Amino acid sequence: MPRGVAIVAGFVLLGSLVSLGVTSDSQRVLTLAIQTMMLAALASSWNILGGFAGQISLGHAVFFGLGSLITRELWLSGTALPLAVAAALAVTAAAAALVGVPMLRFRDIYFAIGTLALGVAVFITVGNLRPRISSLSAETLRNYDFTGPYFMTLGVLVVTVVVSLWLKRSKLGLGMMAVREDEEAAGATGVNAFFHKMIAFILSAVLAALAGATFAYFSVSYFPNFAFSVIWTFEAILVVFIGGVGTIVGPVIGSVFFIIGRDALPTDIDEFQVVLFGLLFIVVVLLMPGGLTEAAQRFLAKVSKRRSPPTKEPTATKGKELV
Amino acid sequence: MTQLILQSVVSGVLVGGMYGLVALGLALAFGVLKVLNVAHGELLMLGGYAAFFAFTVWGLDPFVSLPLVFIAMFAFGVILYFALFRYVTRTEIHTRIKNSLLISFGLVLVLQALAVRFFTADERTISTAYSSEAITIGLVRIPVVRLAGLIVAVVAALLLEWLLSRTRFGRALRATSEDWTRAALTGVDVRRVYLIAFAISAALAAIAGSMISLGYSVSPSIGLGWTLKALIVVVLAGLGSMRGIIAAGLFLGLMESLAAVWLGGQYREVAALVLFLVVLSFRPQGFFGRAHA
Amino acid sequence: MLTVEGLEVAYGDLQVVWDVSFEVPEKSIVAILGPNGAGKTTTLLALMGLLQVKAGLATFKGGSLIGIPTHLMVERGLVMIPEERASFASLTVAENLELGAYTSRARPSLKRTLDEVYATFPRLAERRSQRAGTLSGGERQMLAIGKALMARPELLILDEPSLGLAPIVVEHIFEVIEEIRDRGVSVLMVEQHLEMALGVADHAYILEMGSIVADGTSSQLAADQRVQEAYLSL
Repeated sequence: MPRGVAIVAGFVLLGSLVSLGVTSDSQRVLTLAIQTMMLAALASSWNILGGFAGQISLGHAVFFGLGSLITRELWLSGTALPLAVAAALAVTAAAAALVGVPMLRFRDIYFAIGTLALGVAVFITVGNLRPRISSLSAETLRNYDFTGPYFMTLGVLVVTVVVSLWLKRSKLGLGMMAVREDEEAAGATGVNAFFHKMIAFILSAVLAALAGATFAYFSVSYFPNFAFSVIWTFEAILVVFIGGVGTIVGPVIGSVFFIIGRDALPTDIDEFQVVLFGLLFIVVVLLMPGGLTEAAQRFLAKVSKRRSPPTKEPTATKGKELV
Repeated sequence: MTQLILQSVVSGVLVGGMYGLVALGLALAFGVLKVLNVAHGELLMLGGYAAFFAFTVWGLDPFVSLPLVFIAMFAFGVILYFALFRYVTRTEIHTRIKNSLLISFGLVLVLQALAVRFFTADERTISTAYSSEAITIGLVRIPVVRLAGLIVAVVAALLLEWLLSRTRFGRALRATSEDWTRAALTGVDVRRVYLIAFAISAALAAIAGSMISLGYSVSPSIGLGWTLKALIVVVLAGLGSMRGIIAAGLFLGLMESLAAVWLGGQYREVAALVLFLVVLSFRPQGFFGRAHA
Repeated sequence: MLTVEGLEVAYGDLQVVWDVSFEVPEKSIVAILGPNGAGKTTTLLALMGLLQVKAGLATFKGGSLIGIPTHLMVERGLVMIPEERASFASLTVAENLELGAYTSRARPSLKRTLDEVYATFPRLAERRSQRAGTLSGGERQMLAIGKALMARPELLILDEPSLGLAPIVVEHIFEVIEEIRDRGVSVLMVEQHLEMALGVADHAYILEMGSIVADGTSSQLAADQRVQEAYLSL
């Protein structure tokens, strides 16, 4: 897609999302839209670390949870929401920097295990320390309005996508991708691998916390450790891979597909939705490593090739068969 | 206070045996196939339910059903290998680890959800006639069912060690884990080795599950927690040394128990995490056999 | 014994072996010679089923080799020693040798072959309980050859047997290779070390940029003006 078309499409989408927020009063539609945008933001934040910098984190929920926990506690105890969010982001950034120092020294699998360990440990510990459900007061509930959370989530998504777009074109982002391809080679060409991973880690964590803050503002009641649940990490990774890892639109497309798909499935048997999406995810990882975005590109390429004569026939070769 | 500490040491060692047993299968799959199966804990959970239902439905004592559970999960491991992990093992080692991680992560969710659906989210424990019995030494109480778990762990580790070092197939396993190409050139059917190693790994998880549903409890969500403990144990032990694994498990259990005494039970998990980070930080290349690469 | 016709191999879009044909007659040593990167190792790996063959035929004792799993080739008597030596560092010398007789073809005669191997390489007998990882380069090559002999090969394939070894050790290894041929085992080897290889080979092929550019008996090639200019001066 040419850049101009993409920009126009982006603004058209943004415009329709704004008008949806202004005009719609269907709770179901707004809830779905909020869930989709929140997941898209969370997934995009994972994508910065996992897609751009190539560090597979299985503990992403920690930062989503941290953002939600701090925002919620401060907000419910009377702090203005923007202040609460700002505090949450600051604390998350500091926490990410602190945790990043040992974690980012680990390569590939060790990083994945380390972040998984972090995720599980924090989830259980938060459950131990904050065992009680967190609910909005009756008064807040009486005045509950979807518009606020809707526009906050939309704003968070826009920020996340814009940061991703900027990153993809910036020198910083190029450095991250160099690290993803080959850490040693990147180091040899003067890219400071640790620095780039750290920036990706902190950015990714802060944006996840932002998504978590929308969750805190949007949700009526939840157990504080629920926001730290591995399910968030999983959903983020799932939609990134379904959409297309390392792309800008992939996480967004994946989220739309996931939330709409989940809504379309019968809701009385929750478990089967998980089973279905779990299997879908496995199939995507095994068979379509580029996700929907790449599949669509391949399709478009095929269509346009049919119109214009082929310039060069690509040699069809299967990947190196090992055993 | 002394009694509390002694009792903590004992329960730490007992649960540590379970950590070691769970880690045994995980290490085997990683060492041989170079796949990281984070759904290992879910296989354990399934094994736990198998033992539980064998007891409640057929009245089979968990020690009687142990071989049956082993065989059933061995078969399930075969199915999983053919359905999923076979495809992963066809790729180059680096992609192999990443893809197996992602795929088994998906498997975690699938198996958990299925377990909730079919077994409900309730916690289950096998309660036999001897479940509440304990050996008392001085001030310390040792529940027999947990002691039995530790013994099963040690026996399983010894059997595995025997398989690896004394049998022809074990040598083929070690050869494959060192370098599958050379193993193939030696005449080893690498795919068969992969299949059997993965099935044994699943069966070992099920044995652990059996003992956990007897001495502790099972529920659909226990998997990830146990997987994590096993991963930490594997890192502590250093891969390739099956002997070190039980010892590392005992060490982890002990450290956690002591941390719970000093810091309070809420921080038990943090102790494991810190231990893990410290060990890994001092061996950042890790123990997963980069030295051979 | 081994016939290869029109072999082509590619890594993805990058083809590295083009229309390679050669044959190894019974009880002879055949060498494939050529500079680094000519596609020698790729040819061998493809032959052994470790890389996918794009096109071509390969037959061993009359049966096709294409698409056959590696371990079954070993079972048929086609045994290869890879460049990085085939032994397992974490296993002892004796364990490595016993593992060498893994196939059902070799297992029945394990004891006898083991004695033969220890007779050929007394050094290995001395170190039998030592881990292979602690051996010197020359000893590792002896172990690799010994391990391959344990499989009772009919055709032994060696990838750069001289690589990284001291000249005196190389001489010993080549003597052993001739001895193996004299016992009735055919040998196919890939070498950069032209002079040494032509000294023992009955027939040789020159591989350059993925294609065979010359072939002949060792004396023919050694006398060939082009070959001399291109290689022997190096």
